[in-house]
Amino acid sequence: MNSNTDKALMLKVKKGELDKLGLLFERYHRGLYRYFFRMCRDKDISEDLVQSVFERLLKYRESYSGDGKFSTWLFSVARNQFYDHHRRSSKNGVSIQIDEERLEIPDEKDVPVQKKKEKKEILEEALNTLPDNKREVIILSRYEGLQYKEIAEILNTTEGAVKVKMFRAMKELKDIALSFEKEYNYE
Amino acid sequence: MNKKYEQLIADYLTGDLDESGKNELEALIADGKIDFMEFRAIEATFEGLDDLSVPKPDPIVSERFYAMLDEEAGSKARDGVAFKIAELFRALIGQISFPKMAYAMALLIIGGFIGSWVDRDKSEIEQLSQEMQSLKEMMMVNMLEGTSATDRLKAVNISSELPNADIEAINALLFTLNNDPSVNVRVQTIEALKRWGGNERVRQGLVHSIAIQDSPIVLIELADAMTELEVRSSAKEFEKVLQERELDYNVQQKLQSSIAVLM
Repeated sequence: MNSNTDKALMLKVKKGELDKLGLLFERYHRGLYRYFFRMCRDKDISEDLVQSVFERLLKYRESYSGDGKFSTWLFSVARNQFYDHHRRSSKNGVSIQIDEERLEIPDEKDVPVQKKKEKKEILEEALNTLPDNKREVIILSRYEGLQYKEIAEILNTTEGAVKVKMFRAMKELKDIALSFEKEYNYE
Repeated sequence: MNKKYEQLIADYLTGDLDESGKNELEALIADGKIDFMEFRAIEATFEGLDDLSVPKPDPIVSERFYAMLDEEAGSKARDGVAFKIAELFRALIGQISFPKMAYAMALLIIGGFIGSWVDRDKSEIEQLSQEMQSLKEMMMVNMLEGTSATDRLKAVNISSELPNADIEAINALLFTLNNDPSVNVRVQTIEALKRWGGNERVRQGLVHSIAIQDSPIVLIELADAMTELEVRSSAKEFEKVLQERELDYNVQQKLQSSIAVLM
């Protein structure tokens, strides 16, 4: 086995070669950050969550079994971290959901002086408006390049269910983007 | 909509639909069981996701991580078996006479010498070359994110020194191909990716990139690469480009001849 595969590196970390975690960090920290940021839209929280994922990897390295794909396992850890944080924040009354702020549509009277929104800005807003569970499937598939089978493992569901969810998420995204376009009088 | 149709479309979007799946989808659209306008709008939305900005972490994330790693490595050394053995050794030293100690040390050195002589050859070289590859890969990924086009070109060239197709390197190169503002960098990236043309991720990534490219030079380069790698699925993408865009006559000719080869 190539000793530089993700799995081989993590097994080395498990055996005590902690420096090997550096290479895994270089390979995945950007993807994890993108995932967190697209889920919560908060730079500081996303950075903290990336750090906490790698802290967990270090802390629980002994329990790494090497079963399955490393990236699938890593994103499962990341997802748990995200939802744990989400739950804790909600309990403390601090929500990392800033959807309402993001969705604020300017008053009609402000529109003439405002530059027309670019299509991609509208799509970005629409994506941020999607419910977490739908946005998540799009992020993992479209941006992190995970296969439906891998996403199914992360979400603990079937591959077919993920495909259905992906289709419905895309349909909803398209509908929201269209309604925003109308809202902004986009031509 | 029927769940099976939804799954078909989901597969289509990510390029995971095989030929029979595509035929099935086309038939469903032709029969009006799938609304073509809606299907097209979803596809366009999916493609539009490519244009969204890419969030990037601050360098502070790396600093924090390496600080944590250093701290953990330090505490491991303090708590580790090696540390305990060293402590024990220190305690024993006071109780062993000098001739005995010298004899033990001599045996240890000779044993170590013989051991390293036998084992070092292959595994050491392999280990070194893998370490080199990791370093090169890390350097390449970091340089691809640089602001200077020259540096990014250098990064692309580094990839040609990587013996194996690594997913991280491939993703970084595909990202560069689809997002780099410099035509030269993009052309060079196609050259670099061609080396790993047998890899399905590379083939799909190159096909996917056709619709994104606006430069005629890059399109021609992609057409050559697709012909060379015999990626037949790219013909449809080139056809779409021909239908949807007003291209220079020479570029049209080039794309048409490539389509003819690929069909």
